[in-house]
Amino acid sequence: MKVIINGKEYSVGKNDTVLEACRKANINIPTLCHSDMLTPAATCRICTVEANGKMVASCVQPVTDGMEIKTNTSRVMDARMINLQLLMAGHDDCTSCGKNRKCDLQRIAEEMGVRDRWFTTDEPYTVDMTSLSIVRDTSKCILCGKCVRTCREIQTVEALAFADRSVHTKLVAGADQGMGESVCINCGQCILACPTGALSEVDETGKVWDALNDPNKFVGVQTAPAIRAAIGEEFGLPAGSRVTGKMVAALRRVGFNKVFDTDFTADLTILEEGTELLGRIKNGGKLPMFTSCSPGWIKFIETFYPDLLENLSTCKSPQQMFGALAKTYLAEKLKVKPENMFVVSIMPCTAKKFECGREEMTDSGYPDVDVVLTTREAARLIKQVGVDFVNLPDEQFDHPLGESTGAAVIFGATGGVMEAALRTVYEVVTKSTLPSLDFVETRGMKGVKEATVMVGDLPVKVAIANGTGNARKILDRVRAGKADYHFVEIMACPGGCLGGGGQPIPTNLEIREKRMAAIYEEDANMELRKSHENPYVAKLYKEFLGEPNSHKAHELLHTHYLDRKTGEKKVHGGHKHD
Amino acid sequence: MVGEIKQILKPTDFEGLKKALAMGPEKTIEAIKKSGLTGRGGAGFPTGMKWSFAASAKSKKKYVICNADEGEPGTFKDKVIIREVPEKIVEGMAICGLAIGADEGYVYLRYEYSYLISEFEAAIEAAEAKIKELGFKFKVTLFMGAGAYVCGDETAIIESIEGKRGQPRYKPPFPASVGLFGKPTVINNVETLANVPSALVDKEWNNKLRLFSISGTVDKPGVYELPEGITLAEVEKLVEPWGPLKAVMMGAAGGIAPAKDLVFSQEYLQKQGASLGSCTVVLFDDAVNMVDIAENVNEFFVHESCGYCTPCREGNRQIRDILSDMEDESDIEMMLALIQNARDTSRCGLGQTCGCVIEGAIRHFPEDWEDELQ
Repeated sequence: MKVIINGKEYSVGKNDTVLEACRKANINIPTLCHSDMLTPAATCRICTVEANGKMVASCVQPVTDGMEIKTNTSRVMDARMINLQLLMAGHDDCTSCGKNRKCDLQRIAEEMGVRDRWFTTDEPYTVDMTSLSIVRDTSKCILCGKCVRTCREIQTVEALAFADRSVHTKLVAGADQGMGESVCINCGQCILACPTGALSEVDETGKVWDALNDPNKFVGVQTAPAIRAAIGEEFGLPAGSRVTGKMVAALRRVGFNKVFDTDFTADLTILEEGTELLGRIKNGGKLPMFTSCSPGWIKFIETFYPDLLENLSTCKSPQQMFGALAKTYLAEKLKVKPENMFVVSIMPCTAKKFECGREEMTDSGYPDVDVVLTTREAARLIKQVGVDFVNLPDEQFDHPLGESTGAAVIFGATGGVMEAALRTVYEVVTKSTLPSLDFVETRGMKGVKEATVMVGDLPVKVAIANGTGNARKILDRVRAGKADYHFVEIMACPGGCLGGGGQPIPTNLEIREKRMAAIYEEDANMELRKSHENPYVAKLYKEFLGEPNSHKAHELLHTHYLDRKTGEKKVHGGHKHD
Repeated sequence: MVGEIKQILKPTDFEGLKKALAMGPEKTIEAIKKSGLTGRGGAGFPTGMKWSFAASAKSKKKYVICNADEGEPGTFKDKVIIREVPEKIVEGMAICGLAIGADEGYVYLRYEYSYLISEFEAAIEAAEAKIKELGFKFKVTLFMGAGAYVCGDETAIIESIEGKRGQPRYKPPFPASVGLFGKPTVINNVETLANVPSALVDKEWNNKLRLFSISGTVDKPGVYELPEGITLAEVEKLVEPWGPLKAVMMGAAGGIAPAKDLVFSQEYLQKQGASLGSCTVVLFDDAVNMVDIAENVNEFFVHESCGYCTPCREGNRQIRDILSDMEDESDIEMMLALIQNARDTSRCGLGQTCGCVIEGAIRHFPEDWEDELQ
């Protein structure tokens, strides 16, 4: 199909929108409410252009043959400027905004050459601090609806909606009872979707500074697998840069006493979870077993599928396992009083903030983890100190709890926990070496993946979902008794942790794929690539835990869940003492 | 008597449906097209053509919706039809259903007409029985609005009936292909549907005879049946103004024009930046200040914008703030720019038309604004 854009003819797809056609012609029309991943909504109207003499919202207007599109007339520019100015009315201070220099509204204002502000507003607003993970500030909301659509269409959670009407229209969580009281699973995908600073993580950098400046505290930090493949973006490095060594070096310079690796407890998770899985298969336990590393996913199943909670592995997430060990095993080793041991986690995830605040996560007698920072907050700490991240030399994690294998690194990508588990389960069961470590079927961005892996004589059926909307597809089949999987991996965020709600902004499909490639590269470059070959995990069992799923392991490393429909605690798995 | 409501009230006793049943769907649509019947909701789209789009859409399930969300400020003509000849509305819906292949319809009644529910429902039931007797199956559900002006927009009605926020949809797709519950749907105004049976069987029926809702600074406000093209001078004889008329407002969405030499035709009004729309006429005499009218209409739209898109939600808010504190000519220019922007970039008719009264008040009555600025 042919269209004429600003006087020049172009060939475009017959199903293209005017916006898509213009992009193909290398004309970038600004948008605030549009995302290729979401149903177009056409709320912001910034993308209005002329088509056959009529003003149309280019994001929703289909092209027609011979359509004459104009994006450069003063009528178009005036409309763009007025709508931009109207949306800027409530945005009077970029310097105190978490989205400063990452804000689409700010960027478009810069591109449009805004030099004065035409409008102000005194509409009352709400700053919703009810959630442990996410802050909702309606003064910065331009009502584009990207968060609402992300929550509804991608995550199928529907925690967010618009309430009221006209100038009083506002973004609300649930029935306006606040994010913390709503069905929000804390995944933070809304933060990534927000073009302004209306949604952001709960900033806890202050708590970390307080701890770092407290002479009585021994402050250890752990970093999740997905951080090392993303944090470089905060310092201007291209997406997909692997910066493990620089990250460790930077955190030391911030002032942490020790820099540990959540990858260590990811390896540990594989031994605990793998053993649990084999036990369920052998003893006729509840199958399929679901992974339990992703706290957004945990709240999702607790809220929407509480009838399937028995399918959930009782393993804590690697972050919480680390915390429980830090305040027991590690405190003892380092001769630090557990009450003085302060554990900071750096996570790609806003839901980890919620997870660390769960009342049951105190098995050492202290909170397993004291503060969770997202990747973005961690980068802020580093920037605040003025550390020149990009030019730092590589440094190594501290011992113990700093050693890991490639199997742990891939926890950061969808399919990674499954692949790591298969590497170990295969070798433990068959007592023979895997011919190839790469389980290609479990990798990639596809929403739902399935595979059957022969473990000796046993065909192990597995499934993997990323994003809770995709998880629903598997869960509905499990609920209906139509799925015969043994093991299911679910990560709440698209792409897995590498696409988590705490990761650098922007996070989009292209960037997710680059981070994923970096993670698998990191794995391929590791000396050890199977969790059960981590000698320090073996040492931990020998010195402290006994064996996988031992009494002590259950006490510290396993947990229980909450049926959020009835409010009933679900304890299962046998050993757990509540 | 001139202005007496006759044509629309003339009973058809389901003769229209009988005739349609005898003709079959295709010929019915042809007959409606030939009659020249146009939509009474405001846009004036040819009814037969609208039906033919839905008729050609392939779907087992289709719907007919009667738009009884009469919410345009100054409009009260549909209420007369609902009270006097409700059976003609249902007959019109059934004829439409027959023509497009729908066996179900909804009447979307404005919340403020809740007091009409029981008599309307009884009339619907009786009409359904009559339709069944004639060998056609057509179910009609009365659905209550919740008081939002924007739900008079055909796609906002659909959203509302589906249980969603009352917000217009983007078109295309048009309801004729993707409408209520995703099915092809025809949405017609009460007056349009009540005219359908007459258009088929009443040999004297005239499409140009419209129901006018007339109010304002007059002694005899009310609903009058008048021909399009009638002059204001003739209308004045019927409604008896309190004093010399200054301006004629065609509802909040239809703009405002000077009273002098005014003719109620689309051609004339369009030149004045107004439109005939649903024949809503609010008359103002010399005592009325046009800045007050602008403020009043703006207040209405600030209240009634659905809040979905920027130019209407934020634009009306800013016009309100400007009107409350006008300093100089630049304020007026900014208002005109905001109105043009709302017309150019709003998603629905509400947003596109929200500024036309203010614009007309500025254009036609500059002296009122000069006084305000001094």
